[in-house]
Amino acid sequence: MTAAFRGPRKAKYRQLSHTADLGLRIWGSTPEELFENAGEALTAVLTDRRRLRLRHIEEITVEAPDLEALLVAWLNHLLYLYDVDAFLGREFKVQGLSPQHLKALARGETYDPQRHESKTAVKAATYHHLEIANLNGGWQATVILDL
Amino acid sequence: MASQIKLRQVDEYRWEIPREGKMRTRGLIFASQKMLPKIRDDQSLQQVANVATLPGIEGASLAMPDIHWGYGFPIGGVAAFNLEEGVVSPGGVGYDINCGVRLLRTHLQRAEVAPRIEELVNALFSNIPSGLGSRRKDLKLTVPTLHEVMRLGAGWAVKKGFGTKEDLAHIEAQGQIPGADPELVSEHAMDRGKDQLGTLGSGNHFVEVGYVLEIYDDQVAGALGLFKDQITVIVHTGSRGLGHQVCDDYIKVMLKAAQKYGIELPDRQLCCAPLSSPEGKQYLAAMAAAANFAFANRQMITHWVRESFEQVLQMGPKDLGLELIYDVAHNIAKIEEHLVNGKKKKVCVHRKGATRAFPPGHPETPAAYQKTGQPVLIPGDMGRYSFVLVGTEQALTETFGSTCHGAGREMSRHMALKTAKGRNIVRELAAQGIIVKGAGRATIDEEISEAYKDVESVVEVAHGARISRKVAKLKPLGVIKG
Repeated sequence: MTAAFRGPRKAKYRQLSHTADLGLRIWGSTPEELFENAGEALTAVLTDRRRLRLRHIEEITVEAPDLEALLVAWLNHLLYLYDVDAFLGREFKVQGLSPQHLKALARGETYDPQRHESKTAVKAATYHHLEIANLNGGWQATVILDL
Repeated sequence: MASQIKLRQVDEYRWEIPREGKMRTRGLIFASQKMLPKIRDDQSLQQVANVATLPGIEGASLAMPDIHWGYGFPIGGVAAFNLEEGVVSPGGVGYDINCGVRLLRTHLQRAEVAPRIEELVNALFSNIPSGLGSRRKDLKLTVPTLHEVMRLGAGWAVKKGFGTKEDLAHIEAQGQIPGADPELVSEHAMDRGKDQLGTLGSGNHFVEVGYVLEIYDDQVAGALGLFKDQITVIVHTGSRGLGHQVCDDYIKVMLKAAQKYGIELPDRQLCCAPLSSPEGKQYLAAMAAAANFAFANRQMITHWVRESFEQVLQMGPKDLGLELIYDVAHNIAKIEEHLVNGKKKKVCVHRKGATRAFPPGHPETPAAYQKTGQPVLIPGDMGRYSFVLVGTEQALTETFGSTCHGAGREMSRHMALKTAKGRNIVRELAAQGIIVKGAGRATIDEEISEAYKDVESVVEVAHGARISRKVAKLKPLGVIKG
């Protein structure tokens, strides 16, 4: 939460209150950084990210009709990996990004209830109030998660 | 934004959003005067108005008294669309397709079980995987088996020995939504579902052992097999990752379809396709498959509930009498026949956080409840109580046979965590005689009583507006949370 006080340009993300669900506001100096920070923001909802070790790399490719939908597809793909392999990424590296296509690496490990904190379960990233904006040379995204 | 929405009081329990701008019909909200400030606080009224703009909507865009801000449709939203021009929207069902509730009765009295409740909660917790990404190590389904589960629903579980034929007669749609086509469910969705059948998941899902605290209608309670101080069990869960993936997959399809069919969307999450289009039909068939997975899921969990009781109490099934009263879906879209402007008509009813509430004598009300009306199960929060109601004629004529589904959150999860900070919620509940066991502390803290509306106030509105009728109030003794 301290991130919120550092101002939009330096903070990576911030959680927003929503009655039933949870919003994420994400910042990045480039669209690539925005997507990387979005990955971190999602993991931070599910568990304490700092306790994850960098033991495994997942290569991820997702496609969507536009950049905003691509952000939702990216987050939902990360949730898919978590459901199927219990994989959680701690660090993310975008290797290629166009408005319809994303190629990225996620480094992290398999969730282990003995080692890792179980925070809030996320069903999906939604399109409700979804927004990506270019502000003062930086990028900001808002996405609402269904919990 | 929401406070700008015009609202006109109709009577004590009804509020209307007059038709305006792009709305094709009015909005109708069931609520008490006291609930309004909270409802106006978020964007749920705007969402009721947004739903009213969708093509082919019949009757009003409805909201039940547990209305709160969702994504796309409000939670507590009900909307029916005709099959000719109307649409189906995955956002009007939600990610947790066929999230629902079932209620079991027993032959047990509170006094017999209360001293053993901790053991019972521990047994339930170890027999039913729960929590973030919970999976079953002992049950991994192959693709052909998953297809069978999605076709047969709860019937699949019964066929495999998890329950009885008698159970099926006490489930909405007999635990099998017709028209399911597993071929339309993606590989990704099946990957997510293959080891999640028989798991609770996380968030607000739970298994709760409770007892009958109060009875409001002796005759109906008797017909439902309920008596005072009787032990009951509630199971609340849905279609897990499989359903979430089906929803996500089809939202992508519908974003394109809405464009293709020229449907104007006030919010992308409301994306939809005509019910008569291939996209609309495919979604309904995939949704039915996911809904059937959810019915099978609750059926499997019921089996492990029965086993846990047998283990701990060392009693046989006959003495325990753990029989299913009913199982309802509260996130679903269904093709049903309703009276619209005096004419019988097939419509697609979306219930997003709303429960079907069919009256006595309705052909879809199960045989056992033809005289009472279909049982409606309204879980409250883990510290207070839950309600059993029955459906009414008023619901059928006014809300396409629908009523509320739960308490509805009043506090964001952040606020709940803040409120719970420095407190030991598990110990506080134990002091009130409620044993709670959860996979993570965060889930329990997010789910504190104070975070929810008092479910009694929600039920009072549903009862007062006669869209369902109170039968009994249940009080928790032991809860497992995800």
